[in-house]
Amino acid sequence: MTVAIGLVITFLGFLLSLFSLSLTTSVGTRMAMVLAGIALSLIGIVGVVNRAYLKNAIWKR
Amino acid sequence: MLKRLIPVILLTAALWGQAADPAAAPATPPPAPVAITDADLKGIEAPKPELRAKGDPDGALTGTVSDVAVSDAKKGLTIGDLANQVGQNKIAINFVWTLIAGFLVMFMQAGFAVVETGLCRAKNANHTMMMNFMVYAVGMLAFWMIGFALQMGGVGAVGNLGGSPVLNSEFTVSLFGKTFGLFGQNGYFLMHNGTYDVTVMVIFLFQMVFMDTALTIVTGSAAERWKFAAFLVSSFVLGAFIYPVFANWAWGGGWLANLGANFGLGHGYADFAGSGVVHSVGGLTALALAIIVGPRIGKFDRNGRPHAMPGHDIVLVLTGCFILAFGWFGFNPGSTLGASGSGNLRIGSVAVNTMLAGMGGAFTSMFYMWLRYGKPDSSMSGNGLLAGLVAITAPCGFVNPVGSVIIGLIAGVLVCVSVEFVERVMKIDDPVGAISVHGVNGMFGVIAVGLFADGKSNYGGSWNGVPGAVTGLFYGDASQLVAQLIGVSTLLGVVFTVAFAANVLIDVLVGQRVAAKAELQGLDLPEVGALGYPEFELKS
Repeated sequence: MTVAIGLVITFLGFLLSLFSLSLTTSVGTRMAMVLAGIALSLIGIVGVVNRAYLKNAIWKR
Repeated sequence: MLKRLIPVILLTAALWGQAADPAAAPATPPPAPVAITDADLKGIEAPKPELRAKGDPDGALTGTVSDVAVSDAKKGLTIGDLANQVGQNKIAINFVWTLIAGFLVMFMQAGFAVVETGLCRAKNANHTMMMNFMVYAVGMLAFWMIGFALQMGGVGAVGNLGGSPVLNSEFTVSLFGKTFGLFGQNGYFLMHNGTYDVTVMVIFLFQMVFMDTALTIVTGSAAERWKFAAFLVSSFVLGAFIYPVFANWAWGGGWLANLGANFGLGHGYADFAGSGVVHSVGGLTALALAIIVGPRIGKFDRNGRPHAMPGHDIVLVLTGCFILAFGWFGFNPGSTLGASGSGNLRIGSVAVNTMLAGMGGAFTSMFYMWLRYGKPDSSMSGNGLLAGLVAITAPCGFVNPVGSVIIGLIAGVLVCVSVEFVERVMKIDDPVGAISVHGVNGMFGVIAVGLFADGKSNYGGSWNGVPGAVTGLFYGDASQLVAQLIGVSTLLGVVFTVAFAANVLIDVLVGQRVAAKAELQGLDLPEVGALGYPEFELKS
């Protein structure tokens, strides 16, 4: 379940970047939104998906 | 001493003045064009047969007017015949250029195979080689059946290769009032809808070897514990669907390429030879696989501290790096898809940029490891070379030599820092450093286009349908950087997510990881039935 949430967060990061195309024409605002989207995706991958797998890591058994 | 220096200073000043003020010398007007007619061609004679009969040691008699095809023997040679011959020569040059570049890229498979095998333990040598060998066949099958059509089926006419119009069907949706290309629809099995075509064959070969490069990256991160059957299924899915769809968005006329035309973001997502398309797609899939299969037994202790598991043959590793660097001269310069016309003479710049960035990466990774751990590390120096090459792959066609060296220098450090982060913070076991070399540096290369592109390249006057040259932030266009960042966001948010979900499904259906007993024994016998080194006694 946590992995699925992580994947959703990762994908939401992309959607945030995508919607920067329609919400504004300002280059600066678009860049800020896209950077936020990238950060969100990284949180999803590093902070949620990977951490969920580490809970049952082979070296913990 | 000063007297000796004076002439040097004067000469330097004179040369500087010449270079700085070209208008000082009177410009010679170019000769006015002279119209030629069919009649002008009548006087051109072929070498006489008696001359040819004596042989042609200096080559002056070979390749003359007699080699130009004449369409009507009664009329003789016409301007039309000459124009056709010039056109065919241009396309022939571009075909040969692209094909030979593709052959070089194909040989990179051998480089990947020996790098990965050398970085693995001897007990897994046959298994690792077999994965790198069979990924070529599996990937090609997937791409021929499905992937090529999804990627290039709607790319339209490729002018450098003759402008064949048969790859003309792109599936699109309308979003934010603009057309978003999602995947191509022509070219299944290379027979569908008129795609049995000489131009299509050249495009297929070149794109196929690129796709296979992405696939073979994944075998490195999951090496020494990946079930062979799962590897086959996973590679097929990546080669048939995941890679081609992202490649369509970037290279096949899809929505990323059109960010410039549709939303005014520079020249759209610009990825000259595939830092993002090839390396990040492979590297992020490698990350997904490494998380799913988990680390090798013994890589981390019970406290999560990593232990070094050295590869068995550093000679193989560094030889493989050289093979890859050689193949990269096909990868990057070949991505012009031609040597003649449309600004393609930049192939020299592209090749030099490629080698310079590799040099920069090798240097900084070597010095980073030397300063941090007291010795220059061979395998990380090799990975530094590859990191520089990966990072320059997207910008190689748009940057100058100084930019290339800076990109390479950064990549060499980035790969070392990333390897440490992946292993110590994320606690992910990546035996060959594929995630850092290809995934991280691939995304850095994509971003580097948006920073370092100097606005001097001109491939036929436009890129991705936007007039002018690709220009990065440091040369005045911040919007190009936004387009590049959207590409990175797509790689992380879509490619990683889809690759992860697909491989979780494969894990459920086939099982991604071998049994612990097989892993401890070594995968050569349990998975592929023969030892890589049967005459050697291996230490466990």
